[in-house]
Amino acid sequence: MISYLDRKLWRDLRRMKGQAIAVALVMGCGLAMMIMARSLIHSLESTRREYYEANHFAEVFVQLKRAPNSVASRIGQLPGVAAVQSGISIQVTLDIPGLDEPASGLVRSLPDVGIQQLNRLFLRSGQWLKPGSRDQVLVGEAFASANHLAPGDRIAMLLNGKRQELRIAGIVLSPEFIFESRPGAALPDNRTYGIFWMPYKEVARAFDLDGAFNFLTLTLAPGASEQPVIAEVDRLLRPYGGRGAFGRADHPSHIRVSDESRVLQTISVGFPVVFLGVAAFMTNAVLSRLLNLQREQIAILKAFGFANRHIVIHYLKFALVMVVGGTVLGTVGGILLGGRLVEMYHRFFRFPDLNFRLDRTALPLAIVVSTLAAIVGVFGAVRRAARLPPAEAMRPEPPANYRPALVERTGIGRILSHTFRIAVRNIERRPMQAAFTVAGLALATGILIVPNCFKDGVSEILDFQWDVIQRQDVGIGLVEPSSDQVRHLLRQLPGVITIEPFRQAFVRISFGRQRRQLGIQGLPRGGLHNRVLDESSHQIELPSDGLVVSGKLAEVLGAHVGDFIQVEVLEGKRPVRMVRLAGLAEDFAGVAAYMDLHALNRLLEEGDIISGANFRVDSAQRTEFLRALKGIPRVSWVAIKESLRENFRQTTAASIGLIQTIYMIFAIVVAFGVVYNNARISLAERARELATLRVIGFSRREVGAVLVSELVILAIMAVPLGLLIGTGFATAILRAVNTETVRVPLILTTSNYAFAVLVVTVASTASALVVLRKLNQLNLVGALKAPE
Amino acid sequence: MNNQLQPSQQPIFHVRGLTKVYGVGTAEVRALAGVDLDLYAGELVVLLGPSGSGKTTLLNNLGGLDVPTSGTLVYKGADLTQATDAQLTQYRRNTVGFIFQFYNLIPSLTARENVGLITEIAGNPMEPEAALEMVNLSGRLDHFPAQLSGGEQQRVAIARAIAKRPEVLLCDEPTGALDVRTGIVVLEAIQRVNRELGTLTVVITHNAVMAEMADRVVHLSDGRVQSVRTNVQRAPASSLNW
Repeated sequence: MISYLDRKLWRDLRRMKGQAIAVALVMGCGLAMMIMARSLIHSLESTRREYYEANHFAEVFVQLKRAPNSVASRIGQLPGVAAVQSGISIQVTLDIPGLDEPASGLVRSLPDVGIQQLNRLFLRSGQWLKPGSRDQVLVGEAFASANHLAPGDRIAMLLNGKRQELRIAGIVLSPEFIFESRPGAALPDNRTYGIFWMPYKEVARAFDLDGAFNFLTLTLAPGASEQPVIAEVDRLLRPYGGRGAFGRADHPSHIRVSDESRVLQTISVGFPVVFLGVAAFMTNAVLSRLLNLQREQIAILKAFGFANRHIVIHYLKFALVMVVGGTVLGTVGGILLGGRLVEMYHRFFRFPDLNFRLDRTALPLAIVVSTLAAIVGVFGAVRRAARLPPAEAMRPEPPANYRPALVERTGIGRILSHTFRIAVRNIERRPMQAAFTVAGLALATGILIVPNCFKDGVSEILDFQWDVIQRQDVGIGLVEPSSDQVRHLLRQLPGVITIEPFRQAFVRISFGRQRRQLGIQGLPRGGLHNRVLDESSHQIELPSDGLVVSGKLAEVLGAHVGDFIQVEVLEGKRPVRMVRLAGLAEDFAGVAAYMDLHALNRLLEEGDIISGANFRVDSAQRTEFLRALKGIPRVSWVAIKESLRENFRQTTAASIGLIQTIYMIFAIVVAFGVVYNNARISLAERARELATLRVIGFSRREVGAVLVSELVILAIMAVPLGLLIGTGFATAILRAVNTETVRVPLILTTSNYAFAVLVVTVASTASALVVLRKLNQLNLVGALKAPE
Repeated sequence: MNNQLQPSQQPIFHVRGLTKVYGVGTAEVRALAGVDLDLYAGELVVLLGPSGSGKTTLLNNLGGLDVPTSGTLVYKGADLTQATDAQLTQYRRNTVGFIFQFYNLIPSLTARENVGLITEIAGNPMEPEAALEMVNLSGRLDHFPAQLSGGEQQRVAIARAIAKRPEVLLCDEPTGALDVRTGIVVLEAIQRVNRELGTLTVVITHNAVMAEMADRVVHLSDGRVQSVRTNVQRAPASSLNW
């Protein structure tokens, strides 16, 4: 049977359901954020781990020029190596029906017999390649779905200059390409870049690689460490044009998923802490108010022999009901939001089966955290009530002590209206209540800054990347570095306005103990297409010797302008040179190194060689230009600016939109809840005072003004603080996101701030209006009776 | 001293057959059951009667805090039963001064500010300091309610009520929460206002002794006027004792 005290609990709760719901909602927001973020981390990481295990994802990767298969066996016998998978990995261009421009991609070989040791594929649809089959191909899912390709469809591929019609046997996924993107490209363009798998025999024949391999991956024996194995592999492959082995930590697809986890990690701690802090205060405010109203009831309970313990437990139950409500809301909200975000991840990450997995450890944690928050919130108030001697508690509370507010003591008091004085003195008398209302509103304002800041940062990158740095319309890469003569051939293509060649060479850069593998770009000095800019966006004149690197790369290496950096070329004649660091380039994606085209060719000890070119193309002849490219066998990849931009708009921008919506809902809930709570408490505590004002001749509007002035003062304090907090949040999150892969600049715009202020103002006003309607129910006659 | 009733004078309040019913059905309570009463300018009227006799309901209706169920309630020719909420607010703002048993001061405002609150919105107010002077509180202008004794708080409430120079001063048990000595100080203040400003003053009390300071004493019982007695001589508040 439910005790009478519990009946009282339910009835009291029913009376203050608005406030209880407001507390539960704010708590729910914090918990939803935590459960969502933690579950997404759990979903991503556990799914990835299982995928890696089930499909034998390798741990070390290396690309080389060409080595006989016997070398692979030798690597397999190295100490610390568990399994080796060698094969062919090669860039190709494609002709996709319905696509004007040539697409490019990476072809990987599959063993002719048996299945892969490592990096096993997952068949999404269609069939595996039949042994001995010809002209069949497996296509990576991201490319297939971007181009609406299905098993049985045909695509044309240029294999070493020879056009070959291929039938798609199946659509597959690979643990190597959870994130499918052209190497070096900051943003994925799944429409024009894909991954393909074909039988070894067929690829080897096309590229004259029979009995050889140019790509190798391996796994480590249990307990073996990565670095010695990498060093051995590099030593063994040096004569075969090895481009330097690297571990998972440098694997592009692996890094992308890890980066996402790291961002979620930041969110899963920072936001819930703040939300739950506000919820804790709101619990305290609601309970304090209730306890004030129930002073006499508490006294009577004590007079009849209830122990302090009973009283404390009774009121803690109030808090616990809100905790339960908040936990339920938070869990449901977290699961729903997490589900939506997992759907969003499907656009970026390709897993055989990425489902939302609730992080079960998050639930008890959520309950513990919010219970603690609630207990912290109510403890002081309840203890105060329990301590009160019954006789004293039965007397009405003496009039509250007030004094002139700080602003008045500065001497400007005379010009303040009475309404304003009432408001500021109330705020000063309850500084904690005011502080938390300010904190809540500031938080609501602050969280709105984050997604917009992200959006502005990304659009800044895009403008910078595509309008300032990359002024070309189309870039192409050649299958093999070729003589500069090919430039004249390319210039003949229809619609070409300007053309600028570039040279790319794989190198390992070392400074001190730090090293990185990357491609050095050789660009024409003073080029107009792919420009190298300094941090004030001025073009850097590439020196006739010396190297310019991304600011981020210099930071990672610990190098400064003027230092000499070791450049070890991983192709061709493999020279090793000390090159002076001549400047730092501002860029936002990946890390890059630039040299003057001629200087690079000198360093490579090769003649006038180019590995690709950038074009500006007459837009009227764009289609003809792209069609013509499809027919040039030496082209290995094509990057079309507009296509990248459009793809970006459809994926990343849409995701930012979703995140923005989530943050906005949270901000509205917090602003509404905090204002509602504050106004309801003021109204309840001061019903008598407000009713007196009505009695002595104040209109409803004037009485409302007393209540609203207080909120307006708090809001005016909260908003600038919120903008500051938001700037802090944005800075912290962007710092967490900023890696060698991508760096979002911190862009804070007036419209971002204005939007945040607007949303919070509208939510607060709506909330205040809801409470002001209660003013109509003020009992004027009742206020004249003895205080409750 | 205005201690003579002048029947030829037009009454300020003209009350006929005034009823007020709270609740419906079995819960129906008839607080006023047909009150007939005229109140004149400048007189001090004491309403006497047991609990539940309808004194407070009558006062609330006179003060525009409550609307009667039926009957006539005319203030200077204006029918208060037909007044809108906004009109009643204006009426309370400019015409009526209220004094309550529990003072009902705004705790966050000082004595001067509590009075000033009203003088800001009233049509023809006196200076807050002058109103407080009338209740002998010139020395406590900048004290907050929590820093004042009960009697002092009640005198601030009186100053607040009279600062607008009301036509009518309505006092509901003004000494109910005070000891005798303090109560007398408060009554002296009320009497002084009545005398010096010529404000029609209606005082509710349980305390029959206070009837001696009135021009007229109205007895209420079961929601009706039982009797109206006119005092030939008004006793000064200072001479009262209970």
